[in-house]
Amino acid sequence: MERHFIKELDALKMTLLNMAALTRRALEKATHAYLNRDEKEAQTVIDGDKEINDLELQVDNISLKLLALEQPMARDLRFIIGTTKISKELERIADQAVNIAQRSLFLCQHPPLHHIPSMERLMTIADNMLDAAISSFINEDFQQAIKVRQMDDMADKYTLEVLQTLVEYMVKSTPVAEKRLLNTNRSIQTIIISRCLERIGDLATNIGEHVAFIVKAINIKHQKIDFE
Amino acid sequence: MENSQKFITQHLNFYYGEFKALEDISITINQNQVSALIGPSGCGKSTFLRCLNRMNDLIPGIRVKGSIRLDDEDIYAPSVDVVNLRRRVGMVFQKPNPFPKSIFENVAYGLRVNGIKNKKVLKQRVEKSLKQAALWDEVKDRINESALGLSGGQQQRLCIARALAVEPDVVLMDEPASALDPIATQKIEDLIHELKKKFTIIIVTHSMQQAARVSDITAFFYMGKLIETGDTETIFTRPALKQTEDYITGRFG
Repeated sequence: MERHFIKELDALKMTLLNMAALTRRALEKATHAYLNRDEKEAQTVIDGDKEINDLELQVDNISLKLLALEQPMARDLRFIIGTTKISKELERIADQAVNIAQRSLFLCQHPPLHHIPSMERLMTIADNMLDAAISSFINEDFQQAIKVRQMDDMADKYTLEVLQTLVEYMVKSTPVAEKRLLNTNRSIQTIIISRCLERIGDLATNIGEHVAFIVKAINIKHQKIDFE
Repeated sequence: MENSQKFITQHLNFYYGEFKALEDISITINQNQVSALIGPSGCGKSTFLRCLNRMNDLIPGIRVKGSIRLDDEDIYAPSVDVVNLRRRVGMVFQKPNPFPKSIFENVAYGLRVNGIKNKKVLKQRVEKSLKQAALWDEVKDRINESALGLSGGQQQRLCIARALAVEPDVVLMDEPASALDPIATQKIEDLIHELKKKFTIIIVTHSMQQAARVSDITAFFYMGKLIETGDTETIFTRPALKQTEDYITGRFG
């Protein structure tokens, strides 16, 4: 007979995975809405955020109950602590996706900016980082967990490239004051989107670090480890 | 003196007749620390505890191999006075077992056995022991009444006071709170925290939470072997071995 506690732990894991799936979907839809100038899709990201927030509360409630009633030890304890931390990171990633969607809604109202290749690369890497972080949790894979933060340098690099491209554009764009105001506004909104993606990379990195703690009981935050 | 070595066992093997109850146990118990022995029933933790003051000697057909040193002295050496050993290494049992005598006489019993007759000294030592066992305030006005009139938790603290009266170095506790309610258990646990300042304590417990709450060092026994030992925080948050992890997370067997 399977222990009641193990079933409860499985329920906690499933709630977090549900939250992770919705968060990843929110990010995909937000970037898709930006790239395709799709207002409807942007709005679904904003509308869908409540469901993710509710799941965060569910994770908190289940965790609190298990800590109080089961007094878990060792790996179970690390799993519960780690899961509550991961849910916090996912909720903030979803908020960043909402932010991207809101900026995209603004940008849809105006003519498109020129193509920025670094932005697409940044979107891909942010998505890959989130995917790797979630997979490392599912597979309890330490190596994959620490790989997430190794990808973060690329995310930072692309964010900087987007910034440089748009600053250059703003400086040179046009001598006409009215147009310059619009161009600056569109550029800044786009820079904010890149900043949201860069933050998503940081938060995915945190998830990887929480997974490393769950799996190997070592805290790799704020420090390099030998085999990195 | 803190953290100096009190007990050192090396390659300890213990047999009940042909049955090997302990196999190759090597462990160091430090002074002024609480060491908890955990493991499933029949794992050898109580047998090990009883080796430390030779309580097992009372069972026919036992054999001991390897060494147990207390303050660097072999306790199984022929020259050892077992009565004196048990004075130095006191014991508290699972079920409170006061004598059918007054509270005073229960605590004074060991002192009288050790030849102390002076009434003033006896009174002082009884009071000191009852204070150390956090029982004095509850019994000072009925010190000459029967110990059997005390509650279970009070009786267990009386047994602790009785063990402390002869001023031991080490107190062995074999599931001292398993027959007590949560409040009495908490008192015993608080007491253990206090007592370790003066004594070395080794406790056998079935309650993992209790081991986690009261001990500095935890040793996990399984099928007569010492599987893993380490500081309690490490054992309960990141044990090194899967077997330990499985036991403390209830995934055993």
